[in-house]
Amino acid sequence: MTNCKPPKTADRADEKSRQDKIGDQLRKLYDDVASEPVPDEFLRLLEDADEPNAEEGSGDS
Amino acid sequence: MAEPMEDDAFKAELTSLVPHLRAFARSLCHDATLADDLAQDAMLKAWKARSSFQPGTNMKAWAFTILRNLFYSEKRRSWRRQPLDPEVAEATLVSNDHPSGHMELLALRNALSQLADDQREALILVGAGGLAYEEVAEICGCAVGTIKSRVSRARKAVVEILETNQAGYNSDDDMQAENVFDDLMDQVAELTKPG
Repeated sequence: MTNCKPPKTADRADEKSRQDKIGDQLRKLYDDVASEPVPDEFLRLLEDADEPNAEEGSGDS
Repeated sequence: MAEPMEDDAFKAELTSLVPHLRAFARSLCHDATLADDLAQDAMLKAWKARSSFQPGTNMKAWAFTILRNLFYSEKRRSWRRQPLDPEVAEATLVSNDHPSGHMELLALRNALSQLADDQREALILVGAGGLAYEEVAEICGCAVGTIKSRVSRARKAVVEILETNQAGYNSDDDMQAENVFDDLMDQVAELTKPG
């Protein structure tokens, strides 16, 4: 168990690199989904939306 | 006031935003299927509201606003009631035993799911959504300062959650490998206790 406190500048540098890493990981989480190929159902959605009766049968539960 | 967009042009631009809508929806809901449900509902809503979109303005921000409002207003819908999935919970325990990138991402997802909604969305939109603070503030219906403080609190909370889950696995520790394993087994036993 360590008893000595690290100096403040090291704390801030640590904090910053931790935050940078979290930022990178956040973007990875987001980009992982954003870079997936768009499922067909999404592409069909707007095509079907053109139909006059698009509001019916939209799977409302 | 500018003419509303042609339907085809609107459709094309909205379709190009689907990856972003899915990503944002996924950050709000934990389950991929439910997130896609939310994203599709938001798309339909955006389509129906297309005459209210100002051409030349940021359609991504506009669509995100619709999605976000839908998420919060549809409290009874299933994409709001998602418990944390066991895979994510487990990954948090082992994330430092096997510090591969995949595990770390799962640990971050777990941490995000523990944040308050308003903090999580601010962090995602600012940190990964590619939007300016002003745009995020508009999407969330609050002041820029509020977004900044939510992001700041979210970041601190994430670090704290990740570190709490890492308690005892810090690389500075003298903890022996077998102690780490025992500790991990205790946590698993704790989690898998019936009731």
